[in-house]
Amino acid sequence: MQQTSKTLAAESPARSAPALKSRTFQCMGTVISLALPTATVGAADGGQVLEGAAAAVERVFAGLDAMFSLYRPDSEASRMARGEITLRDASAAFRARFEDATGWRLLTEGFFTPERPDGVLDLSGIIKGYAIDQAATALESVGVEDWCLNAGGDVLVSGSPAPGTGSPWLAGIVDPQDRGALLSGFPLGDAGRFAALATSGSAERGDHIWKAGVGRTEFRRSEFRQVSVAARDIVTADVLATAVVAGGRRMLDWATDSWDVEVLAVLGNGELIATSGFRA
Amino acid sequence: MRIRAAVSAALASAGILLVGWQSGAHVADTGSAAATTSATTSNGTSSGSAAGGGASSGSSGSSSSSGSSGSAGATAQAAGTYAGSLVQTRFGAVQVQITVKAGAITDVTALQLTDEDRKSVQISTRAAPLLRAEVIKAQSAQVQTIGGATVTSAAYLSSLQAALDAANL
Repeated sequence: MQQTSKTLAAESPARSAPALKSRTFQCMGTVISLALPTATVGAADGGQVLEGAAAAVERVFAGLDAMFSLYRPDSEASRMARGEITLRDASAAFRARFEDATGWRLLTEGFFTPERPDGVLDLSGIIKGYAIDQAATALESVGVEDWCLNAGGDVLVSGSPAPGTGSPWLAGIVDPQDRGALLSGFPLGDAGRFAALATSGSAERGDHIWKAGVGRTEFRRSEFRQVSVAARDIVTADVLATAVVAGGRRMLDWATDSWDVEVLAVLGNGELIATSGFRA
Repeated sequence: MRIRAAVSAALASAGILLVGWQSGAHVADTGSAAATTSATTSNGTSSGSAAGGGASSGSSGSSSSSGSSGSAGATAQAAGTYAGSLVQTRFGAVQVQITVKAGAITDVTALQLTDEDRKSVQISTRAAPLLRAEVIKAQSAQVQTIGGATVTSAAYLSSLQAALDAANL
């Protein structure tokens, strides 16, 4: 959770892209990065706006990680996994996230599930998206209107990278076959229809998504290598991206039939399946 | 397919004329679906409807129906398959076909159409195969953020997002 970036004078060569200032920190096993337009950060107050905004976001993530991380022996989630407490004993916040997760399990016909195959309750599939969502509220409360928050590849934006111009944030989507290249781009925020973009897959963490079967969950290779979902809110985007990786083509069709989303899926052989919003 | 459709449409037209001539009835309103109805006995006539639903039919806004040429027993009952007008939607031109039996609609199907570029038209919000060259392009120098499957803290160091963040310090 330490600050991994420090303030430096802007030295990057002149680019046509809008000038941004970023802060990063580690949480939930990944890196979270917050970017604000340089115009917003302002030279006068020495980047206080950015520091304050980044601190607010970090507080949200740290608080949720302390409660829901299964990597922390003292977290509420870990105590529940060990059987020391039951849902009945859990805090209201914990039960609320459990309720969210089970609601999504119903909506996705079981393809999103908060349970590991060994029966342990694992809410991490919903917590990162929820943390991003809560961070948005925190940013709003500190008075920042134009920002881009990236938590390990899941993105939520507000406003524009060039305030007042109405131009959207442009997110690149990594090519799972070549992590140094971009597969596609997608406009988010302001003029764009969606503010959130979440991506799930097996490219970075192995086959970490449980594939749901009838009455049980099992560990199976997905037909999709990577699935990106653009939606209005980050939790919907995140949950559906996870569900489509788990549920394959059937869940993909269910997602596009039932939610206002755009989807870009990469098959195991690198071929693409996408909704019209990803067409150039 | 087009030849078969044209022949089918021609036969259907001939059948209708024959019916009109035999019964001595005037086909007063050719724009009306009911006026051009003939009884159908199968659903195997959709290709004829598709041919009828080309640009001419669409621009005139008329509906047409198709019937198998042998079934000359036209009655006043509205039975058969009817192709609607071409309607422009955000997915391209769409045309539906209905099947009517005993005065009630029993089936509604979307006729597969092609646009002027002869590309198949997407008529739903569903995902479809797309070539890599066809998706929205982005160079890493143009984007403000990078989406991808969750990166670990270690993997972040060599990621495109890390490069972006470093440039924006």
